[in-house]
Amino acid sequence: MQRSVLDQKWAGYVAAALSVGLLTLLLKIVGAHVNAATVSLALLLTVLFIATRWGSLPALAASILAMLCFNFFFLPPLGTFTIAATDNWIALLAFLITAVTAGQLSASAKRRAEEAETGRLEIERLYAELRDAFERASHAEALRQSEKLKSALLDAVTHDLRTPLTSIKASITTLLDEVRDTEPPVKLDAESRVEMMEVIDEESDRLSRFINGLIELARIEAGELQLRRRWGAVEEIISTALSRAEPITHSHRVLLDVEKELPGVRVDERAVSEVVYTLIDNAAKYSPVGSTICITARRSGDELIEMGVEDDGPGISADLRERVFDKFFRATRDGDVRSRQPTGTGMGLAIAKGIVEAHYGKIWIEAGRDGKGTRVLFTLPIGDDDVIEEPRYTTATVEAQ
Amino acid sequence: MTNQARILVVDDEPQLTRVLRTGLKSRGYDVRAAADGLAGFEAFNDWHPDLVITDLAMPNVDGLELCRRLRAVSTVPIIVLSAKGEEKTKVEALDLGADDFVTKPFGIDELLARVRASLRRAKAPATNEATQTMLDSGDFHVDLETREITVRGKSIHLTPKEFDLLVYFIKHSGKVLTHRTLLAALWGGNYVEQNEYLRVFVGNLRKKIEPDAASPRYILTEPWIGYRFDPDQTI
Repeated sequence: MQRSVLDQKWAGYVAAALSVGLLTLLLKIVGAHVNAATVSLALLLTVLFIATRWGSLPALAASILAMLCFNFFFLPPLGTFTIAATDNWIALLAFLITAVTAGQLSASAKRRAEEAETGRLEIERLYAELRDAFERASHAEALRQSEKLKSALLDAVTHDLRTPLTSIKASITTLLDEVRDTEPPVKLDAESRVEMMEVIDEESDRLSRFINGLIELARIEAGELQLRRRWGAVEEIISTALSRAEPITHSHRVLLDVEKELPGVRVDERAVSEVVYTLIDNAAKYSPVGSTICITARRSGDELIEMGVEDDGPGISADLRERVFDKFFRATRDGDVRSRQPTGTGMGLAIAKGIVEAHYGKIWIEAGRDGKGTRVLFTLPIGDDDVIEEPRYTTATVEAQ
Repeated sequence: MTNQARILVVDDEPQLTRVLRTGLKSRGYDVRAAADGLAGFEAFNDWHPDLVITDLAMPNVDGLELCRRLRAVSTVPIIVLSAKGEEKTKVEALDLGADDFVTKPFGIDELLARVRASLRRAKAPATNEATQTMLDSGDFHVDLETREITVRGKSIHLTPKEFDLLVYFIKHSGKVLTHRTLLAALWGGNYVEQNEYLRVFVGNLRKKIEPDAASPRYILTEPWIGYRFDPDQTI
């Protein structure tokens, strides 16, 4: 930046000479009305002005010039640099000392203020640089995390596709080898042959379930899931889910604890029934044969219905209770829940969460009775006439996972 | 039943253990299954199988830890089941002592071929390396004293390092050898990251022993992992 003329070093000396000269002239013009004290104070002000504007050296020059003018024009005998009275010597000396000291002090105050200002600007600049650096770093970190997440999801998906495929391929090649008369010959009895075919059948179903789950999740994430919200009864939703879950719950005791006279809810019955089914399916998978699965429904305040499914399984530790809603996360594989049961697709709870949140509800996990087992609860608003019939919505929370 | 070799299958996927149990039994093997590394190690100690087939990703004790624990107490052949994309874990398992791997999804014949090769290697009579002077393996005949080598009956000349590399390959025929294992064995522990050394020497060796170095039949590349030497390949 170009410095102005006033900022030049020599300008301070010129200003010192001019201001002392002009003030002296002014004081001489009004000379009859001013005494020595007034003159010295006025000159002192000029020195202070020079000091604050141009610093210590121009202030020193102004002090000496002011002292000379004071002596020459205002201390008798006038027009000479000699001084007759002793008290005038003292006045002149006092003026000089005061002018120099005050000049230097204000110049140094100015310098410190300037230094402080420079420091402040430097701190501001460093802060801005640091903030930019942090922003760049966190952006890079976010990108890295996102890539890591993508790769983890891809790994999870390929693992879930490849595992059933492996069982299918190994079964089929075993069956083919028997037909092809390989060396050494393959000896399969009727029971083993049926077992191989059963595995192929079950694993094909598993692949199909997994792919359906992927499609459902993709719909939820893209905000393309269409809800058909109609007034319905909670009992009916539970009953639909229970009949569907019959084949998987025959070795468990199922208890219903549904509050009497529950109000109707304005939901997509098929979707909510899917949520209840998923929870029952999980409860049956991860709790011992013969144990109890309890399905509950009750009012929670004036506007909510709270539904839940509780089991007597090994439970889910508190630190995993949020993560089990992440897609492809499985407590039995990725967490510490021990189970000999086949693991699920890792998508059921993510889809359930998507459906519940699409109904403006909440889903969470607690420990069961006496701190044992798992209790999954979710809420649904009772219903609102203002909600449009078939809303399209986005489920940002699922994406955020 | 002709084989009756005992095979322990360790996998947390019940469907896959069902298939492998039936598939291997149909070939006359005696099979037991375990659902995780912990149960697998217990079964190993109780039953002393001739071969272990293990998955890598399992709850509780995973496949890597199982390899580590088994190698601490036994030289039993270990075949690892892994998925494509798990190269890092695969290399780790091989470095920990696994002998071979099969990538999912696989046909039962591929697994059986690996099983037979591993069992054959394990059954080969133990030789006293200190007094052994001759190596005969497939198309290769090596005189360790005179350092003379014949391949398919033809004498070839190798540099000292190429000779050591080929002898190491022959002694570990059929086994997957990671870059790290080969570098540590031939160049020492300080050179385990110097994959380019290996590439150069394997390239030179292939030119001298392979009928066609561009499509090798003896020194087979396992992408991202290392090499496998098969002395029986003929044109």
